[in-house]
Amino acid sequence: MITHSDEGPDHDPDDPLTVILRPPAEYLGAPPGHYEAIRRGASRRRLRRAAAGAALTCGVAALVVLPLRLSASDDPGSPTVPLAPPPASSPSTLPSRSATPEPSTARPAQGTRSTAPTTTPTTAPSTAPSAADRSSPSGGTTDPTSTRAPSGLPSASRSEATATPSSAPRS
Amino acid sequence: MKRSRETAASELFAAVYPRLAGWVRRLVDDDETAHEIASEAFTRLWARWTAVAEPRGFLYVTAANLVRDHWRKLERERRAVRRATAEAAVTPHPEQADPSVRLLVQSLPERLRVPILLHYYADMPIREVSVLTGRKEGTVKADLHAARELLRAHLRRSLDHTL
Repeated sequence: MITHSDEGPDHDPDDPLTVILRPPAEYLGAPPGHYEAIRRGASRRRLRRAAAGAALTCGVAALVVLPLRLSASDDPGSPTVPLAPPPASSPSTLPSRSATPEPSTARPAQGTRSTAPTTTPTTAPSTAPSAADRSSPSGGTTDPTSTRAPSGLPSASRSEATATPSSAPRS
Repeated sequence: MKRSRETAASELFAAVYPRLAGWVRRLVDDDETAHEIASEAFTRLWARWTAVAEPRGFLYVTAANLVRDHWRKLERERRAVRRATAEAAVTPHPEQADPSVRLLVQSLPERLRVPILLHYYADMPIREVSVLTGRKEGTVKADLHAARELLRAHLRRSLDHTL
């Protein structure tokens, strides 16, 4: 780029352009009290700008912090305890419960009474609920646990008659 | 510290304000507008948080921008009045009555206007203009040359119209 000197041939003092562009200096004095008014206005503007800046900062901080706080309160506090088994498993306990009152009420002094409570809890958690579910509609005749003790069948049939009134209101 | 700052501000005001207001007065219509623009430039200077390295240049550049805004506002108002009244087609253009300073400077593109205002009207040396506008000294000189050529063409055209 070719640069031209500002004091070169362009700067002819007789040039009308130069005459127009070099006007005599003109002064316009400030009215009394003008300086103080300008100073006050400047400090007011600075304060206003500072307040606006502070408000903006607070707003941005609130926008950042509030969602974080809300999301923190929504978190689950502790894992929930699994619910109890569904009510469909309750018939499995019915025979065992019916078996326990049965020795106490019907036959107080029998050897089978001591074996019946020990065998039913060991098989009950894993196999008894499903077996009981399947056996309960059929009446318990095909249940292997019931076939294991043929001697207890009449007593069980007898105990069913006594236990059903007690278990019916529970369910 | 605050006292010395206050003293410096007072000295700057006493030294620069009359000249700045007079400079603006040549570019705008009346004394009141000139005072308004000069006051606004000083208010902007003192409302800043950070200190300005070249307060005089800052004042002149701010005032030049305010003068430009004033011209634009006037132009909008004139256009609105011209649109509203049908006389505008008959009466001559108001700026043609005074083709001196404002017409010449207003005809310049934005890039060339500020160097002309600062160098010729505010009497700033080229080095100071280059610092204020952020351009190299050579660029400022080239801009001034281009502005002068444009102004000369405008002036010749307006003289041809008047003859």
